[in-house]
Amino acid sequence: MRESSTIPEDVKQRLNWLLIFIIICFSILVIILWYLQMIKGEEFKERAVENCIRSLVEDAPRGRIYDRQEELLVTNRPALVVSIIPAEVDDLEKLIERLSRIIGISPEEISQTVKNYRENPFKPVKILDDCKTNKIVEIEERKDELKGVVLEVKPRRDYLYHDFAAHSLGYVGEIDKEELQQFGNPKFQGGDIIGKAGLEKYYDNILRGEKGGKEVEVDASGQEIAVLLYQKPVPGEDLVLTIDRDLQLYGENLLFNKKGSIIISDPNSGEILALVNRPSFSPNIFANGISSSDWQRLSSDADYPLTNRSVQGVYSPGSIFKVVTAIAALEEGVTDRNRKIYCSGSFELAGQVFTCWDETGHGSLSMVDAIAHSCNIYFYTLGNDLGIERFNKYMQKFGLGEKTGIDLPEEAIGIIPSAQWKEREVKEIWFPGDTINLSIGQGYLLLTPLQVHHIITTIAAEGEVYKLHLVKKIISADGNTVKEIKPETYRKLNFSPDTFKIVKEGLRQTILKGTGWRANIKELAVAGKTGTAENPQGETHAWFIGFAPYENPEICITVFLENGGEGGEAAAPIARAMLEKYSDIKR
Amino acid sequence: MKEKLDRLIENLDYTLLFAVVFLCFYGLLVLYSSTRLAVTVGSDPYFFVKRQSLWILLGFLFLTITIFIDYHNLERYSKLIYFGTVVLLIMVIFAGRSTYGARRWLAIGPFDFQPSEFAKIALIAFLADFLSKNKQKLNNFFYYLLPFAYTGLLILLVFMQPDLGTSLVYLAILIIMLFAVGVKIKYLVFTFFATLSSVPALWIFLKDYQKNRLILFLNPNLDPLGGGYNVIQSRIAIGSGGFLGNGIFSGLQSQLNFLPAQHTDFIFSVVGEELGFLGVIFLLGLYVIILWRGIKIALEARDLLGSLLATGAVSFLFFHIVVNIGMAMGMLPATGLPLPFLSYGGSFMISNLLVIGILLNVELNKIKW
Repeated sequence: MRESSTIPEDVKQRLNWLLIFIIICFSILVIILWYLQMIKGEEFKERAVENCIRSLVEDAPRGRIYDRQEELLVTNRPALVVSIIPAEVDDLEKLIERLSRIIGISPEEISQTVKNYRENPFKPVKILDDCKTNKIVEIEERKDELKGVVLEVKPRRDYLYHDFAAHSLGYVGEIDKEELQQFGNPKFQGGDIIGKAGLEKYYDNILRGEKGGKEVEVDASGQEIAVLLYQKPVPGEDLVLTIDRDLQLYGENLLFNKKGSIIISDPNSGEILALVNRPSFSPNIFANGISSSDWQRLSSDADYPLTNRSVQGVYSPGSIFKVVTAIAALEEGVTDRNRKIYCSGSFELAGQVFTCWDETGHGSLSMVDAIAHSCNIYFYTLGNDLGIERFNKYMQKFGLGEKTGIDLPEEAIGIIPSAQWKEREVKEIWFPGDTINLSIGQGYLLLTPLQVHHIITTIAAEGEVYKLHLVKKIISADGNTVKEIKPETYRKLNFSPDTFKIVKEGLRQTILKGTGWRANIKELAVAGKTGTAENPQGETHAWFIGFAPYENPEICITVFLENGGEGGEAAAPIARAMLEKYSDIKR
Repeated sequence: MKEKLDRLIENLDYTLLFAVVFLCFYGLLVLYSSTRLAVTVGSDPYFFVKRQSLWILLGFLFLTITIFIDYHNLERYSKLIYFGTVVLLIMVIFAGRSTYGARRWLAIGPFDFQPSEFAKIALIAFLADFLSKNKQKLNNFFYYLLPFAYTGLLILLVFMQPDLGTSLVYLAILIIMLFAVGVKIKYLVFTFFATLSSVPALWIFLKDYQKNRLILFLNPNLDPLGGGYNVIQSRIAIGSGGFLGNGIFSGLQSQLNFLPAQHTDFIFSVVGEELGFLGVIFLLGLYVIILWRGIKIALEARDLLGSLLATGAVSFLFFHIVVNIGMAMGMLPATGLPLPFLSYGGSFMISNLLVIGILLNVELNKIKW
């Protein structure tokens, strides 16, 4: 039977203390638990939900761009991106070393990139964009040694003909901080690809489409468990351009190694068939995110390959401007078809002598002959008779000093001098000699080739001017026409039919017997005007403007060669080649 | 024999036994919830539960055996047990299987077992015998240091594996048993401060990962995705459970794998998230019942040896429970100590049940027959 216990009293006492200590410890645990679960419970619950819900953005495929025959010009191609998911890597150093050997990026650079993006170890860190196929194959083959390296497919803008129409097409790039702020739109997020220049920028809203996205439940490794919400992305709409691929390519070859522009449009609709700018660049180098060395090279090139000369460059127009002087003088009654002016080779005004380009003199000339031979003295006289006030009125009527409204961003407006302008900008009064210079397109006057083109369009269409544009229609991703761009009247100039008739005759004679003979084509009645513009940059600019056929014009052309020499010698043959090509294509 | 069985059936502490059995089932349920989606051989959702059940059955077998051996046999065999354990721990260092940079396992046939786990029980047995025989001499300070030397050898051996957590368990068992046997409080206070002042010296012996754990315990946000990740995710899991929990099998943190080591060290967080405050209180209640019965057994034991055996058993379970739960709630550093009866693991489960066997043994032998 039970003996009395032999446990000393002090041990019993200590054991009772131990029990108390145990109860105290458990009470503390319960208090902390109460704090975590009952007081902070809701907060932790939110964090648990945050942990496992991810919003994933699905980019919309950007709209494609076609030429007027619906030949594909710009599309998207899959680009392979090499990334590292830090959370899946066992030995980062070893992995970086191996990967470095395959893709040829230094280990230091890779580890720096990985370090910079440590906020979420399950998020892939982009190491190499648009990886070459042979490297991809090697990565695939050695997958086992490269745990944590992932290959992702991303859509990449692909300009099929590289530097083809680069200035019109423009390029895309990642949205920058300023643009993000400027748009202030919740639709945009850092890393989004948007149009940065050209049509890509002007029609960004149409090309971009609408991003889709989904909310997914993920587990700790980022694996998708369930899709909670899904919104399908709406693909961007496609653009069909007014540009004719073959004509554009032909023009670009003609200007190979030159600086300048060619503009060809239909005066009856404003559709631009070719908009050549040289030198050019390949928008593809922007598609992968341009490297700093490429950017340095392009932006510091003395020939400004990134500038869209026809839209953003401003130049002295020279003698082609004489058609504006002629129209103003005819409309104001300063001259008529029959008035003859004698050219001795020079013209004197207030002790200042202005010469004709032909110093032996043209003799007595009518308006038509004066245009054909581009006689300076004839137009000096008209300009002097008109005066700057009346002259300026006509320049404004033509829309010079304003944007042509072409569907391209950052159009320049040039300089239309007037007495007020000179006082404001040069701080001098207007001299009659300034008007003399202006009458032959020299002096302060600066126009974009596109504005110059507007002048010839106005004459060809006899005052009914259509807005110049590059997009013919917008079609949805599944091929339905969303919007057809109808010819839009830019302005109507109510000059007398006779005025146009006289000037046109002069332009025809220019080709037949005057300075523009090099642009003469047997099968196509060309009318045109040459220009050779003095400028402070050096060699003269060569210009040619024209239209064809002489009766019922269907095509207008402007050729501009920066520092290209004489208009008749340099620009007219190019215009002729282009017009011949145009006839070929039409046939 | 029949008489012995009758005695057993009549005197068994059914409260304690019932609490343990209930805990085992509770543990299996939570284990199933945390491992049913795990990737295993043959993708069997019951893989871990089946194995754990096997350990539990094995553990009850050992428990039954333990009950039948009168603990007074220890008076003869305690030294043998102690030195046998030392030999096993030395074998681990030289012949053990290593995982995660630590050698902790010895292979016996197809099974791996952790000698350091059974060393806890050996230590309890040895200290109970040693302290009960030398209670009076312990009033001499130098004699008081002797059990530290014995325990210190074991600590040193597991520290070399390295296993910081387990060596702390040995120390805790020793201190609590010394306290129970009635050594002078000033000796204990002195030991406490002596240990504290030697921490800087010990620091240099710590492995880098151990240092990191201590630093991250002090500030887990230093590296929220590295070492601090476990503790942060564990707190989120427990906290998000609220009063009733998200329901078994429905914890976001647990089911989506945000919780690391959720079937071993952090299984408490699964309880917290899925079964809530109520579920945890229930769990703690079961633990309190076991520890209370343990102290009661110690108080009612026939002699000091039995009393100290029961105290050692209680201290082992108590230290594991408090340190594990404190770690899961981010209140104590992550030392990797599993939670009794819940954490997955064979050696640990068996040693838990062995310890219960010791308690029942002392309880049955409180009356001399």
